[in-house]
Amino acid sequence: MAEMEILIQQCVNALSLGGTYALLALGLAVVFSVLGMINFAHGEILTIAGYTVFFAIVGNVPPILIVPLALLVAMATAALMERIAFRPLRGANGTTLLITSFAVSGILQMLFQNLISTRPRPVPISASLTGAFNVGPFHIGVIQSLSIFATFAMVGLLTLFLKRTMLGIAIRAAAVDFPTTRLMGLRANRVILAAFAISGLLAGVSGLLWIAQRGSVDPLMGFLPVLKAFIAAILGGIGNLTGAVIGGFFLGAIEIGLQAVLPESVQPFRDAIALSLVVLVLLYRPQGLFGAAHSVRP
Amino acid sequence: MPLLEVESLAVNYGPIKAVLNVGLTVESGEIVTVLGANGAGKSTSLQAIVGLLPIQQGRVRFDGHDITGESTERIVRRGLTLTPEGRRIFAPLTVEENLRIGAATQGKGGDIAALWDQMMELFPILASRRKQLAGTLSGGEQQQLAIARSLMSKPKLLLLDEPSLGLAPIVVELIFDLIKRLRGLGITILVVEQNVHQALDIADRGYVVSGGSVVLSGTAAELKTSPDVQKAYMGHG
Amino acid sequence: MKRVPVHILAAGLAGLIGLSSIPALADDLVVGAAISLTGGLAYADVPAQKGMQLAIDEINAAGGIGGKYKIELKLKDSRSDPAQTSVAAQELIDDGAAVLVTPCDADPSIGAGQMAQAAGVAAFSTCASSPSLPLAVGDHMFTNFPGDNVQTTVSAKYAIDSGYKNAYLLMSPDTSYTMLPNYFKTVFEKLGGKVVGEDNYSMGQQDFSAQVTKIKSLSPAADVIMTGAYEPDFPAFIKQLRAAGITAPVIGSDGIDSPTTFALGDVAEGVVFSTAGFAAPGNPLDAFNKKYKAATGSDPDTIYIAIGYDLVKVLEAAVLKADSVDRDKVWAAVRELENVQGATSTITYKGTDGVPLRQVALVKVVKGNRELVLQEAPDPALVPAPKL
Repeated sequence: MAEMEILIQQCVNALSLGGTYALLALGLAVVFSVLGMINFAHGEILTIAGYTVFFAIVGNVPPILIVPLALLVAMATAALMERIAFRPLRGANGTTLLITSFAVSGILQMLFQNLISTRPRPVPISASLTGAFNVGPFHIGVIQSLSIFATFAMVGLLTLFLKRTMLGIAIRAAAVDFPTTRLMGLRANRVILAAFAISGLLAGVSGLLWIAQRGSVDPLMGFLPVLKAFIAAILGGIGNLTGAVIGGFFLGAIEIGLQAVLPESVQPFRDAIALSLVVLVLLYRPQGLFGAAHSVRP
Repeated sequence: MPLLEVESLAVNYGPIKAVLNVGLTVESGEIVTVLGANGAGKSTSLQAIVGLLPIQQGRVRFDGHDITGESTERIVRRGLTLTPEGRRIFAPLTVEENLRIGAATQGKGGDIAALWDQMMELFPILASRRKQLAGTLSGGEQQQLAIARSLMSKPKLLLLDEPSLGLAPIVVELIFDLIKRLRGLGITILVVEQNVHQALDIADRGYVVSGGSVVLSGTAAELKTSPDVQKAYMGHG
Repeated sequence: MKRVPVHILAAGLAGLIGLSSIPALADDLVVGAAISLTGGLAYADVPAQKGMQLAIDEINAAGGIGGKYKIELKLKDSRSDPAQTSVAAQELIDDGAAVLVTPCDADPSIGAGQMAQAAGVAAFSTCASSPSLPLAVGDHMFTNFPGDNVQTTVSAKYAIDSGYKNAYLLMSPDTSYTMLPNYFKTVFEKLGGKVVGEDNYSMGQQDFSAQVTKIKSLSPAADVIMTGAYEPDFPAFIKQLRAAGITAPVIGSDGIDSPTTFALGDVAEGVVFSTAGFAAPGNPLDAFNKKYKAATGSDPDTIYIAIGYDLVKVLEAAVLKADSVDRDKVWAAVRELENVQGATSTITYKGTDGVPLRQVALVKVVKGNRELVLQEAPDPALVPAPKL
């Protein structure tokens, strides 16, 4: 392969990985923007989406229904988390909510291990998804292009929702000034529930992409994606939705870029170098690339 | 029966006992003003009336219902809303979106179009700024947007918290004119102001709050001539 | 009625009858297992525990080891946490364990192993394959799985015998296990092969597009790819590798001996990996699998179950040899064990430094099923020395 082709191929790689991170970060940011809390149990929503696919395949659910079912379950899970774990703590400070979300995450992992299995469960994805096609000299994987497509589709849909619907506008308003949003007669519970449902949908989509790549679902798989999402969200400016997307792509580009250019002897330090770059960005822009405006919480 | 009746209200603002004993009434169709120095407990009272702050003691009745302890969203749906101090417009949203969200209580009926036309008539400047981000408006325009946004919920009673704060004199004039016009539209108004002159010019009655309690009340004319008011708030020695 | 914790009752009772504690029956072999029933290592330790339990039930039902010594298993969840593992190990040792079982990974096993070493108790990791584990702990630490260096000796020799000359290695510095391609490299180069490229990855990263792009651009091209990656990394890697049109054969290690690998479909076709055993009709592993199915109603879904069974068979052999459940005698007997028949292989500790001599099976994935390529113990002269 010529140098130029490798470069372009790596750019496609970065776009695809960054897209997955962007979806993950967006899911965290939607909830943060409204409630001012990082939901570390976000990763377990991915896991639940994965188990839904696993059980659907085992239970012979028609393939066409599996994806909608998994997304629905992911949204319902997020909504239930809000209802059961976070609503009783409404108005508590960010630290309390953060620790609660860690607890929710830990409890769910425990339940997966005890009720399902400590072993990974295979999720056979149809062969059509694991193939690839050629564009000129470039080999583009189906999953890779799906994740790029899904990212843009979800960002597009979310933008439409946030701009065109009352609930969407309400979520944006709540992100700026929650009490004043209530003065508009909007039900706080509805707005917050909607934010969680959207974050669940985003987690569901990224969960499906994540699982399509790994081919299995295991009880502890949620931790790494939520960590990446957290870094991407911080990088973009926590609570800022555009920032979350940009942060995701930025993180993807850093990771792929370092993998491509670092010599073998330095590669073991890749993650350390990637995180140092993130720290460097934050030193110059502590509020992230797109620092969130000061906002008023419920 | 008065439209709004507040009885011996006490409210804490964090650890501070900000309101100790505020009682007031507003009759349908009136403009009533609440006067007082900074920190007297005026804003805190308004926020407690609309349910944004918890009420420690006392009762609030609105339109024949006891609304003490009700949620803000329910109170707003009853026809009582607040245009908060400092305007609190949604800066990253457009003017149009700010108004749309103001009409959140109106459901999907055709009323919204009529309301919209009414706002464009009342606030012609907003019509020309429709697609602009609210944060880019001038202070006076933002105040108009904040009031228009409140009106989109079709309130029976509008609470205005310091509508003239930080505005140029000519804009202050405009805002007070507007408040008078609102009465003409059948909206009852309770306005908190530090701009005592102008507030008493447009109001029917007024209350003076000091140290968290109502210390004086009367018609606008009575208050204007009250030596206490003159001395404390109107700069006359 | 308020319930009184059992140990308080026991202590009270002991006081009444004038004993300082109630010992286990003198003729029981007390096995303390500080293994991970939850957390990141539970995927291996839980199945190993099932295999151990099957062997223990079988032996006890037959009247104990040699008809004399019953096995008592004391289990503590080490939660995949090294500190917790050490705490659990110490408690079990204090509680009279004559043998300690530690998790399926070198890191928690080192701490727990050192406790056992100090107490003179023999310690076995359920399925850690790091050959350096006994070196790091001492002569009381044993492993129970074909070592990384042993597995890769067999797979490297197979690669050379298959005519592959240029290898690409994919490894992760995150664990010592995922660095096992380094052992492969030693043997492969010794036998005349060449490593044309190697890359690192982070465990769980899921994205291998950058590595795959590099493999594509290798010159000369790699004609074999070797990795110690396991799920979720291995499935992600091989999917992306095949999606990029790279058809070079892939050799893996026991970490991918998992149902996920066999559910991958076309992309996994032809993958060869080293593992602890292969069930051929009539052989011991096949017999074990049938026994397990009869006992539990389900087929074993991982080799770690049979490995757990092996561990207890080793203990059984040691107690028989020592004719005692005394911890020192049991330990001394383990070091003299030769050709103990386990479910997966024959097992020898005599003359080793704690890593057993075991056979390695090379298994090929064919249409979602396993096919035996070969099963052998490697030439000891070829096996690289453990790297710490």
